[in-house]
Amino acid sequence: MWFRSIFFRTLRSYRIAILGWGVGMGLVVLQPLAAATTLVGTAAGRAALTELVGAFSWNAAPIAVDTAAGYATWKIGVFILMMAIWPLLAGSRMLRGEEERGSLDVLLSTPRRRVRVAVEKLVAMGTALLAMGLLIGLVIFVGSRPFNPGFGLGDALLFGLDLALVCAVFGALALLISQFTLDRRRAAGWTGGLLLVLIVVDSVHRLFPGTEWFSRISPVYYYNLSKPLVTSYGSNPGGMLVLLALSLVLGGTAIWLFARRDVGGAVPLPAWLRLPRRAAPQRESLPEGDWSLRGVYARGLATIAVPTFWWTVGIAGTAAFMVIAVKQVEHTLSGIYSATSASFIKTLVEKVGGGDIQTNATLLSAMFLLLPVLLMAFAVTQVSGWSGDEEEGRLELVLSTPQSRLRVLLGRFGALATATVAIGVLTLVASATTAAAVGLKLDGRNLAAATLGIIPMGLLIAAIGYLASGWLRAAVDTGLVSFLLAIWFLVSFVGPELQWPDAALRLSAFYYYGTPLLNGLQLTSVLVLLAVGALALAAGSWRFTRKDIAR
Amino acid sequence: MTAIMEVQRLTKSYGGARGIIDVSFEVGEGEVFGFLGPNGAGKTTTIRLLMALLRADSGVARIAGLDCWRESLAIKRLVGYAPGEPALDPELTGGQILEYLGHLRGGVDQAYLRQLIERLDLDPTRKFRQYSSGNKRKVVLVQALMHRPRLVILDEPTNGLDPLNQQEFGRMVDEVRRDGGTVFLSSHVLTEVEQWCTRVAIIREGRIVRAGGVSEVKDIKRYEVTILFAGAVPAEAFERLDGVASVETTAGGLGLRLEMQGPADAVIKAAAQHRVVSLSSHEPSLEDIFLRYYEADGRAARKATSVV
Repeated sequence: MWFRSIFFRTLRSYRIAILGWGVGMGLVVLQPLAAATTLVGTAAGRAALTELVGAFSWNAAPIAVDTAAGYATWKIGVFILMMAIWPLLAGSRMLRGEEERGSLDVLLSTPRRRVRVAVEKLVAMGTALLAMGLLIGLVIFVGSRPFNPGFGLGDALLFGLDLALVCAVFGALALLISQFTLDRRRAAGWTGGLLLVLIVVDSVHRLFPGTEWFSRISPVYYYNLSKPLVTSYGSNPGGMLVLLALSLVLGGTAIWLFARRDVGGAVPLPAWLRLPRRAAPQRESLPEGDWSLRGVYARGLATIAVPTFWWTVGIAGTAAFMVIAVKQVEHTLSGIYSATSASFIKTLVEKVGGGDIQTNATLLSAMFLLLPVLLMAFAVTQVSGWSGDEEEGRLELVLSTPQSRLRVLLGRFGALATATVAIGVLTLVASATTAAAVGLKLDGRNLAAATLGIIPMGLLIAAIGYLASGWLRAAVDTGLVSFLLAIWFLVSFVGPELQWPDAALRLSAFYYYGTPLLNGLQLTSVLVLLAVGALALAAGSWRFTRKDIAR
Repeated sequence: MTAIMEVQRLTKSYGGARGIIDVSFEVGEGEVFGFLGPNGAGKTTTIRLLMALLRADSGVARIAGLDCWRESLAIKRLVGYAPGEPALDPELTGGQILEYLGHLRGGVDQAYLRQLIERLDLDPTRKFRQYSSGNKRKVVLVQALMHRPRLVILDEPTNGLDPLNQQEFGRMVDEVRRDGGTVFLSSHVLTEVEQWCTRVAIIREGRIVRAGGVSEVKDIKRYEVTILFAGAVPAEAFERLDGVASVETTAGGLGLRLEMQGPADAVIKAAAQHRVVSLSSHEPSLEDIFLRYYEADGRAARKATSVV
């Protein structure tokens, strides 16, 4: 059955993703539901929480946060949009990935029209997203029964549907962008950047009154119009229809373009969007003195320069945006502080995700927890590049030159480490400059610890990825480190709320990141991260110098 | 002639799957050695073991007296390698790839590099992703030769090259040999191996089934005689004759195809007792030898060589 048509064949290739993302995202929603039962257990707690979460409206609009479902909907906020990573990868790979491998030529040599091939693949992705939504809804519904959260199966399924629809928009967008690029990585990178930008665009109206018109250009805005788990708020069919229409228009345009362009080629951009074309003088035929071709490290650096630039814009930009957001709520928070018992507020702020001292730093600390996640996600994409290069045979000729395997591996890892350090430093520069510009008072040393402290986190996940690539295929390796990242995230965010023992919390790398904006640099923790990273890299190097090079 | 490459009982398996089993051969310095076998026979596995891209389960492979695994770095200074499936950074131009690999080799003679590029008519300004398979092949061939290696290892080097470039490549191989270099190439294009190589080894299902000089392998003692008679002649009359290995009836009983191993005197005398329309003798080509080793029953494939 699974090989009967392109649709079934494509759907079959998504089966593990459906299960993994469906159950995983369901659990992500379930954890704040579980935690909320203790948090909103008392009238005083509910009242304080309602006041406090307004300061975190950048994450999501605080609707009925004094209920478990409302608190969970607000808490998962932008984090749940992590799920859009899958459709943007799948969308960029759908046609462009097959073109890169040459397998689309074979597929199109069968008596099937191009449009049909593309439609079957697109429908398979849509079906996979619906299946994920269904699983998410079921996990939420079944898992939340012990807490009696006040919503039914239909509401949980509508939540899954809303999420699937916004993800479908980004999948279709990736497919559309891949019509204009010659490689899938670029399409995925552009779509990832747009995802980040559109999340920020949506959050703008929650921070700056009167800017809702601007936020309407983001699909995330229409996703947030529905809060199916909050039964008093409900779903917005109009918003869901907009998402569906957007998916269809973007996907349809992509297929229309695909049917009209060369296979293996790209749709030419309008002249005003194209970069000026460089003439290729004769000396370029054999370039001399190009720094990026001088060795494995330099080549690795040049290869990741463009993605590093965009990730830097995203991560440093997010940090700067968070600083501005904190400045916006600084005033509100002072009011809450003066009106409520200080120790109680302190506890609540901790539950929300922060520490326990100064308001600015506490708020920013909660937000800054996103930074190591983003940097680690960047490292995961680069690990994917390393294992992909081996799998696709791109290391074969490099290893046929008098370069030792160890040197090749360390050269590539060194390039990634350099990029990671650069992102950390520029994030520090961006957040410090923004704080100075908007007049937000922060401890400079702690800010440095918080931004530079993400570097060991990135290096750690990269080293683990390099180690795993010694045994695993690229897709499995990337999946494993992504899964590890998700598990760490869950342990650090669910664990404290479920009173897990300290020994369990220590298993997550986020534990060692801590709250540097509040407590400064914890040298021991940094050393632990670096030591584990170094061990993983040493073991990965040992393995790489002994293994069969894949093709 | 001293051996530059010595392979003894080299074995490699992929989990439960066969790779190569007890492969042994030697390649003398200055010769062009052909490594023949169909797809999946173990040619690429052997080459990747020589290049230390794979680690052998057992056996020994040495190049210039150096162990292929333990001393691979020293070996790579002596060797130029062209893989069977060229995979390089698709975003780099051919020229950039050659510059990069040149740097990794510690620098190459730019004039010689330009000469190789011109001879193979390669446009180095285009990105690797834009190249046809033939042009991709040219890039890997140029990089394999650009540092004037002592030994060149080429995995199916002419795949995708047009006939003119194949000829040019043949001349390059010849030049390497004339300059004292050694070429080890795998192929299933028998005519080019016959044309370029001094010695060959045939690999089948992971095992070497024959190795030797091209003339030895061609086995001149074994040849084929085809006789067409005016009337039907019983094959049995020829079966027991001296020098006849086997007899096959053709042309509806009017012809005989005899596989010979020894003098043809008895056959000529027996044929003379009948009215002979035509008689031809045919020395087996390398292709015949090759097919013989790959026929399920071990018998030579004859249809390609039948001449009446």
